[in-house]
Amino acid sequence: MNSSYWRRENLTSYFFALIILVIVCFWLKSFHVESSWQHAGLLNLSVGALMLAAHIIARTLKTFRLPLISGYIFSGILAGPYVSGFLSFDMVQKMGLINDLALSFIGLAAGGSLHVELLKKRIRPITFNIVFQAIIIFTTVFLFVQYFGHLYSFTQAVTTVQLTALAIILGATAVARSPSSAIAVINECKAKGPLSETVLSVTVAIDVLIIILFTIAMTVVRFLFVQSVDSFHGPFFVLLIEIGLSVFAGIVVGKGISFFIEHIQDHLPLFLFFLAFGIARFSLAVSFIMEKYLGFSIYLEPLLICMSAGFVVQNFTPSGFFFKDSLKKIEIPIYVLFFSVTGSSLNIQALSVTWPLALSLVGIRIFGIFAGVGLAGILSGDLLKYTRIAWMCYITQAGVTIGLAQLAYRQFPEIALYISTVVLAIVLVNEIIGPIALKIALHLAGEADSE
Amino acid sequence: MKIFFALLIIITIVFGGYHLTFRQFRLPLIARTFYLSGLEFILLGILLGPMFFNVLDGNSIRGLEPLMALLLGWVGMLFGFQFEISMLRRFPSIQFLAAIGEGLITLVLVFVGIYMTFGFFPEVPINMKVIYSIALAATAACTAQTGLALMASANQIVNRDSLNLICYISSIGGAGALVVYGFVFLFRPETSSSVSFLYRLGVEAGMTIIACFSLLLLYTLFLTKWRRSEELNLVIIGMAVLSSGMASMLNLSPLLLNFFMGFWLVNLSIEKERIFNLLISVEKPVYLMILVFLGAHFKFDSAWPLILASSYIVFRSLGKFSGWFLVLALRPDSKKHSPKLGLALIDQGGLPLAILLDLLLGFRGEFTKIVISVAIVGIVFNDIIGMYFQKRLFVINSDE
Repeated sequence: MNSSYWRRENLTSYFFALIILVIVCFWLKSFHVESSWQHAGLLNLSVGALMLAAHIIARTLKTFRLPLISGYIFSGILAGPYVSGFLSFDMVQKMGLINDLALSFIGLAAGGSLHVELLKKRIRPITFNIVFQAIIIFTTVFLFVQYFGHLYSFTQAVTTVQLTALAIILGATAVARSPSSAIAVINECKAKGPLSETVLSVTVAIDVLIIILFTIAMTVVRFLFVQSVDSFHGPFFVLLIEIGLSVFAGIVVGKGISFFIEHIQDHLPLFLFFLAFGIARFSLAVSFIMEKYLGFSIYLEPLLICMSAGFVVQNFTPSGFFFKDSLKKIEIPIYVLFFSVTGSSLNIQALSVTWPLALSLVGIRIFGIFAGVGLAGILSGDLLKYTRIAWMCYITQAGVTIGLAQLAYRQFPEIALYISTVVLAIVLVNEIIGPIALKIALHLAGEADSE
Repeated sequence: MKIFFALLIIITIVFGGYHLTFRQFRLPLIARTFYLSGLEFILLGILLGPMFFNVLDGNSIRGLEPLMALLLGWVGMLFGFQFEISMLRRFPSIQFLAAIGEGLITLVLVFVGIYMTFGFFPEVPINMKVIYSIALAATAACTAQTGLALMASANQIVNRDSLNLICYISSIGGAGALVVYGFVFLFRPETSSSVSFLYRLGVEAGMTIIACFSLLLLYTLFLTKWRRSEELNLVIIGMAVLSSGMASMLNLSPLLLNFFMGFWLVNLSIEKERIFNLLISVEKPVYLMILVFLGAHFKFDSAWPLILASSYIVFRSLGKFSGWFLVLALRPDSKKHSPKLGLALIDQGGLPLAILLDLLLGFRGEFTKIVISVAIVGIVFNDIIGMYFQKRLFVINSDE
């Protein structure tokens, strides 16, 4: 039996499965839900159906060489409140729990994917990429919004100060990446080599750097609006403590995971799954309790804790193999749910309102990435074939960017509407084209598994 | 926030407890009997519940209902996997009938006994009395398999033929009980007053058939080809979540619906072994979680439920003995098996716990909590004395 016949057979069964799923879901959605037991059923039904449908759609799109996560995101968009309405806003909000859990889990996987020997070898290109990308992307987006922002109808009404503030916030959010998407695509392609290692390291590092950069941006914008800021030192001191404590917590958790693997090992995949969930919730609880009883809070970044933990287990304990093997066993269901829920929360309306500005910013950001990556490649003496295609690897944006935009939304009501609408539209485009571009780049570099 | 902490505490207790109970901890023999009955997890559930720390309060429990539905679906599917027709055919059909008969006799006796005892509780509506009686009778008809199976694999065993026979009965007996339990959903208070019983039967049967048929079609389409293990895990987990949700939405039992799915898969799927390995890999944590959830709903605020509990234990023992006599009467080699071996059927095991959780979620109410508390007392009591009898009857030098 040849592979195309096999693929056709598979697609046929997937096609019919999808039709049955859709019919069943819409039949059940027509029922009047009364009791809490039925509400619980509706949630389970939605999660199960989304998981299976996303899997089918992603597998089908894979035959057109699209990455699986694009399929998951696309399924989420289709099922979400803006298109079919199968998932209501309330349901998508309830499923937000999955994001917390999955992000921590993805952090573990990201940390586990970083090898200290390879990092040492690639330290120059990694450092140059981080520095130049951050500077150039921020600058290009900032300058574009500052000087051309008035030309777009969506931002015509803003004042000069507001436009500068918007330019700073959009510049800072443009630097943010989606480590989860990068990890998912690299894992899916089973990519190994200098490009994928560099992409992973840079994406993860920028994820830490963006917190610092965004804090600076927020402080400057606050200064612009109120003309006075108590102190520049305070927020940075807290931030450094938060990062230090998160890394320390990650080291402790990593050692704990290694102890578990060496001495217990029962249900390791489930242990890691619940550990990720626990870390996400623990961070929130620490912050909440400190705020309530001490009047100030320190937020331990779950993603950073998990990345440090994964890095420690992989590089400084003998348990790396079991750790990665266990993560692999449950990563697909988590990826499917996480990306499809992400897709369902993407705001299509935002794009319809702001598409000229959003598309321009997507283009400018890509130009910034291209320039930053190119400069870093030339200065670090990377091979030309990598320098030419590496920009395609850094386009994806998702949860972190939306999270930052929400922070700014709450802090600056003067420009809240502009920030949230434009950022949501940009993320929507980047999250669709980013994984596809990354997959193409990995193939062009010859690092992806040819299968 | 509270619901997540409740969940984290439960998960920590369950996984830690599983490791201590089944993997590492060594306690004196008498303590181990209590320990292996799962009593400590029920007690932990009681401590976490509204009676003490209130970590699992009403809101948290409602928030965790999707998880509970999934647990029930998982158990149901696992139970369905015990009914592989090619395996069942290895035994004579009379043995199969005897095993079903044993379960049904217990079921009828406990149903009648409990229904009569409910005469002491005039405040409970008649349809709820029927529901509770059927559910308790269904739990009573089940016999534990794990202890017996472990014993069968041990070396120093007497009456090995009888032990094998009782193992067989224990794995079959629960099926009839579970199917009968499905009928409680016909007596739901919301529908029972307005329409006739036959109409309800038709609607419920129709919805069950449509649900089963669509799920079976989906399973068939997903599993026609060999799948990589990660993909298979995704399909099975997704289908378990979907079918549990479907059952809850249609006011059907997730346990029963997934039992049918398990039965289908074990008999017709090419992937049955890999699916079974996935399902069984978390069997014990799933049961332990069910115990904690049941413990959190425990309610015993007066001495009256003790009457129900005593009645439950007495009628169940009567049923099991009568059932064993039926088995002996139907078998040509009845002289090989001692009449007192009926005592080995006392141990109840995990399926009744799943039935109780299913009942609790399907029929919320304060009296339901009392009913499940009664059953929990009965099940723990039966597990403790059942394990004792099994050791006395089958293990050489069991006192040592």
